[in-house]
Amino acid sequence: MAQKEATIYIVDVGRSMGERRHGRSVTDLEWAMQYVWDKITTTVGNGRKTANVSVLALRSDDTSNELREDAHNSNISVLSRLGQVLMPDIRRLRDSIKPSNTNRGDAISAIVVAITMINEFTRTLKYKRKIVLVTNGTGPMSDNGLEEIQKKIVSDGIELDILGADFDDPEYGVKEEDKDPHKAQNESLLRGFAEGCEGTYGTLEEAIAELETPRIKAVNPMPSFKGMLRLGDSQKYETAVQIPVERYPRTYVARPPSASSFVPVSKKTQEEEGDPKPSQGDALTAVRMARTYQVDDPSAVGGKVDVERDDLAKGYEYGRTAVHISQIDENITRLDTFACLDLIGFISQDKYDRYLHISNANIIIPERANDKASLALSSFTHALHLSSFYAVARMVTKENRAPMVVMLAPSINAGYECLIEVQLPFSEDVRSYQFPPLDKVITVSGKTITEHRNLPNQDLQEAMDNYVDSMELDHKDELGNDVLPIDESFSPLLHRIESAVRYRAVHPDNPILESPEILTKFAHPDEELVKNSASSLKNLISKADVKKVPPKTKGRKRQRETEKPLSGLDVDALLNQEPKRANISPDNAIPEFKQMLSRAENIETINGAVKQLCAIVESQIKNSLGDANYDRVVEELGTLRDELVDYEEPALYNDFLRSLKSKMLLEELGGDRRELWWLLRRSKIGLIDRKTSDRSEVSEEEAKEVSKSTPSLQDDTNASAVPFSKLKLWVWTMNYEPTIHENGTSYDAPQERFLMIL
Amino acid sequence: MADDNYARDEEDFDEEEVDETSYRSVKDAVLFAIDISSSMLTPRPSKDAKKPTEVSPASAALRCAYHLMQQRIISNPHDMIGVLLYGTESSKFYDEDGKSRDDLSYPHCYLFTDLDIPSADEVKALRALAEDEEEARKLLKPSEERVSMANVLFCANQIFTSKAPNFLSRRLFIVTDEDNPHAESKSLRSASFVRAKDLYDLGVEIDLFPISRPDHNFNTSRFYDDIIYKTAPSDGEAPAYLKPDTNTATAKGDGISLLNSLLSSINSRSVPRRSLFTNVPLELGPDFRISVNGYLLLKKQEPARSCYVWLGGETPQIAKGITTQSADDTGHVVEKSEIRKAYKFGGEQVTFTTEEQQALRNFGDPIIRIIGFKPLSALPIWANVKHPTFIYPSEEDYIGSARVFSALQQKLLKDQKLALVWFIPRKNATPCLAAMVAGEERVDENGVQKVPPGMWVIPLPFADDVRQNPEYARHAPPDDLVDAMCNVIGQLELPKKVYDAQKYPNPSLQWHYRILQALALDEDVPETPDDKTIPKFRQIDKRAGDYVLTWSELVDENAKSMFGGTAATKSTLAKRGPKDQDAGNPPSKRVKVEGGTTNLDDDVKRSFERGAVAKLTMPILKEFLTAHGRATAGKKADLVDRVEQFFEEKI
Repeated sequence: MAQKEATIYIVDVGRSMGERRHGRSVTDLEWAMQYVWDKITTTVGNGRKTANVSVLALRSDDTSNELREDAHNSNISVLSRLGQVLMPDIRRLRDSIKPSNTNRGDAISAIVVAITMINEFTRTLKYKRKIVLVTNGTGPMSDNGLEEIQKKIVSDGIELDILGADFDDPEYGVKEEDKDPHKAQNESLLRGFAEGCEGTYGTLEEAIAELETPRIKAVNPMPSFKGMLRLGDSQKYETAVQIPVERYPRTYVARPPSASSFVPVSKKTQEEEGDPKPSQGDALTAVRMARTYQVDDPSAVGGKVDVERDDLAKGYEYGRTAVHISQIDENITRLDTFACLDLIGFISQDKYDRYLHISNANIIIPERANDKASLALSSFTHALHLSSFYAVARMVTKENRAPMVVMLAPSINAGYECLIEVQLPFSEDVRSYQFPPLDKVITVSGKTITEHRNLPNQDLQEAMDNYVDSMELDHKDELGNDVLPIDESFSPLLHRIESAVRYRAVHPDNPILESPEILTKFAHPDEELVKNSASSLKNLISKADVKKVPPKTKGRKRQRETEKPLSGLDVDALLNQEPKRANISPDNAIPEFKQMLSRAENIETINGAVKQLCAIVESQIKNSLGDANYDRVVEELGTLRDELVDYEEPALYNDFLRSLKSKMLLEELGGDRRELWWLLRRSKIGLIDRKTSDRSEVSEEEAKEVSKSTPSLQDDTNASAVPFSKLKLWVWTMNYEPTIHENGTSYDAPQERFLMIL
Repeated sequence: MADDNYARDEEDFDEEEVDETSYRSVKDAVLFAIDISSSMLTPRPSKDAKKPTEVSPASAALRCAYHLMQQRIISNPHDMIGVLLYGTESSKFYDEDGKSRDDLSYPHCYLFTDLDIPSADEVKALRALAEDEEEARKLLKPSEERVSMANVLFCANQIFTSKAPNFLSRRLFIVTDEDNPHAESKSLRSASFVRAKDLYDLGVEIDLFPISRPDHNFNTSRFYDDIIYKTAPSDGEAPAYLKPDTNTATAKGDGISLLNSLLSSINSRSVPRRSLFTNVPLELGPDFRISVNGYLLLKKQEPARSCYVWLGGETPQIAKGITTQSADDTGHVVEKSEIRKAYKFGGEQVTFTTEEQQALRNFGDPIIRIIGFKPLSALPIWANVKHPTFIYPSEEDYIGSARVFSALQQKLLKDQKLALVWFIPRKNATPCLAAMVAGEERVDENGVQKVPPGMWVIPLPFADDVRQNPEYARHAPPDDLVDAMCNVIGQLELPKKVYDAQKYPNPSLQWHYRILQALALDEDVPETPDDKTIPKFRQIDKRAGDYVLTWSELVDENAKSMFGGTAATKSTLAKRGPKDQDAGNPPSKRVKVEGGTTNLDDDVKRSFERGAVAKLTMPILKEFLTAHGRATAGKKADLVDRVEQFFEEKI
């Protein structure tokens, strides 16, 4: 559990805080608030009820505080009392923190007020108490009773931070020229005050610069396993031993906060409640999920029927067979296990492939406050280290959890000693994809050759060796060992989103900020390093002779020779002798279409082949029982599209697709085929646009529109009443409702209502 | 349950293998074509003296097919598999309606298992054919007449065309010992070549699993080199210079070794190669890029999610869930496009427009950018957060990628270096810092590649992901104690001192499917799982027992001298056996000292025998259960039950 906190921010809002100084674009107050807002919103972001924050305004126009009876404490007002800060508080604070019309108000008195508030709030309970004063140090300050206040701060255990705009700080390197003597006096008073009560005193510039460095949330270590590291089976053998151990995460990915789904509150609700939120933008309401269940039923319309949740049992798929499991047997497929960490055997460190790690890392340490266990585990760790072994063990973290095979590696250094534990893959986790060797080429005949365009020659290898050597990084730890800069790398997404949320909470109308540089520090090599290795790189580039493939010729077929089998046999010659292949057979449409194109010597042949395939596609759609032939049609159209892009005849495809669409929508191809159109759209085989083929006359937008446009149910009549022509045709439906087809396919209909171009 | 899939979806988001460009569905269909000739049916005796067995090549092939079918139900539950026997006396195919019938259009082709996601019955039938001699003999009769290979290939073509249209990967596995089927007929040969070209143009890859006859080595140049193509045309991701490896894995020898080598080579091709990303630039320096493809070669395989089964019909059916989203205030159904994402903050929601959301997540285009090199030793063993990604060069965007990649890989191997890279695997993926290490090729005893050569990109933790180590009291062990443990370790090396994942199937995954199979086939549920991860206790005792005792005594001695009398009560270790029960000393403050020794196990056992477990305190119950790997959650009554159960099991 994190400790309870009580923090009071004293913000100087005096008139002088409204001025811009030293060429800054922001006023002193705005500048100071960058720091204060960041701190407050970080606390809010943690969402803890026990993190109490209060804001005091110093040098405010009015006076509102507990000690206002005392004239010293005038022009100090409590803007928010100690408590959890929520969004309404942020809005209120934002509106009330403005430069005042006075310069009166004593900073030291404000601290006294804050101490009193903290004391009243926390009484003698255990709290982390803190007071932060941000000022430009130009107000009046009295040094009456400073010592007593300091004593009080120390005895109450209050941490005091004093930050000032343009306060001199030789260590950080800030010195204000032509400093106002009154300010200089204040600075020395505040510095002495802070130092006299173990507080910190610093210049604002440094504090704001530090905000850039992301703060890492410390997580209290919680054991994920407590049990025995065992060797042997103590139930059966006398030689079994066990050491009580605990396991903690060593690495654990810190995830960015997750966003939830909302929709704007409907106007009706807003009117009824008569209380449109004064907040920024639209009021939102949560999105609720509802689940319904359907099964196939060939006799039903659309082939599917809804079923009741109560008629459903839990089950699993075994192949395409549904296996249901009654409630009594609910855990029947679960392997019964007991928590354990059992040693299986030992492997050589030299022969271990580091890439076999497939999980985050944990540490195994002895049970705490157990000296004997500590001694025993330490001897095990040292023995692994000494003999250069890793241990392999079976681990079950809790009763009935799935067993894992883990690797245990010794980790011994001056400061700490433990076993590192990582999961190893099971046989099912390894996918064996084969790839040819990288240092040789094996020819079809089985000959091994070492000189090939895919292999580096000696020049290239040397150039590479030099370049790699010239790009050596110099990160070292304090002992001079090579290390990776893990400590300096911060999760970009996590911090980017968190800081954007914090910023947006305070500045709802501002655009999001750019990503701070520190998050992408390692996105590019160090400039110095690049400069030093430039000549090696130049040499490498020239030896490598790498050529970028122009996007247009990617996968171009026209000039490419036809593929031959391993033997190099000319199958085309054989094909030409086949008498039957003058017409494309519907059974073997794709191969015969491709072969016809590859033999084509003129555009007529291509036209003819396309025509034949189109006829086959149409007849397959027409004769398709439900969606039976749809996948085949998609494959044929996809092939047609690819080939015609390659043969640079996009118009043939585009014309056919347009006509096919109209025929489908007019239900000329065996009834309602809208589902197929959606399938085609999802398969991304719409019109060939100019980006795909420069011969195309269709723009990207146009192609998008054609595949997007789909009729909704109530527009059937409209659609069929419209005679097909090459004219562009826009049909709008005013009362758009999302369309759910009877069979449950939810058409994710276009946002811009219904729109059709033919 | 089906409904908690959402959280999982989000987690999986990063892992999803995507193919953004293709109209093809990312599925795989494998059709086995098994030659049934008299030589394929001739059993080959194995000389293993202990258990002499006879396996014919055909039955080895069928067993492999059965094995693969079972395996794919687990690993690729949406992929199809089928078995076509050819050269059989009988013929079977389906007509255009998809119904099966005896058809003579493909004589001597017998479609035993139609190409589909296998059903439980099909698994059962194939197993019967592979294992049951009787069953097999009825069907596996070679025909007198020679089957036409052209017909076999066209038959396969039709099966793929109608059953697996639009699949990204379609593969025909031919298992045969006949290397020259139509030696005498030129026209039959040409017809076969043409039909093979058809398959190639259809996007079907032919994988040959050749079997050598005892008196004759399989020679692919006599026929098969004319029907097999270098790359499948649909495999745009295939490296430019793939893979004349058909020669490398000819199965031969006696029954068992034949079966094993066939299994090994089929296993190696059991999964179609699917990439995680394609043609991502690998930037070696400013203005110098090559292109690589990424693959997930290591990924935790989880059991398929549970689903809902509808029991209202004649046969159980899987119910498909459909989610509708509605607004909380009015209940009206909302469209995807209406939904705004918001973060909870200070009791309210902080929102961003879709464009802003995208801008926040956008850290640039996919890239693997090298920012420098380091010795491999700089990569700490703990610096890991997830599985690595394997990368291999692709010539598609940059010609010359392969040679540059190769030079880099060889340099990193030679000098034991790693490249530190900025890694954005896909569009909008979260960037991370990663270590790119070179991996060497590994082959097994059959010459089949186990680990491909290439490079591995290992994502590193950010500073945010590194947890603090909890402090504890450390005690440096004396040298003799360490040496004693070294002796133990030296006795218990795994074979070849390496971890071989193939030897450790995931026990809970296997058990899950084993039970499902039993339920689906209406068989008896097996009683004990076959768990290969359980250590070989007998061997441990035999090989290392004495050394363990020596070490254990030394620990006791040292503990006594180092921590004195007080420590003994504070420490619990080590040795524990049925007779030697003086270990397991719990903290003394909690347990009454009886007869000078403190012993948790004994105390609890005695309480059990007296029927007084319920009188023990919660801390003792918990400690006892923890020490025995039992759950410690729940009320006291639950814990008492569990303790009693523990002793009852032992009796």
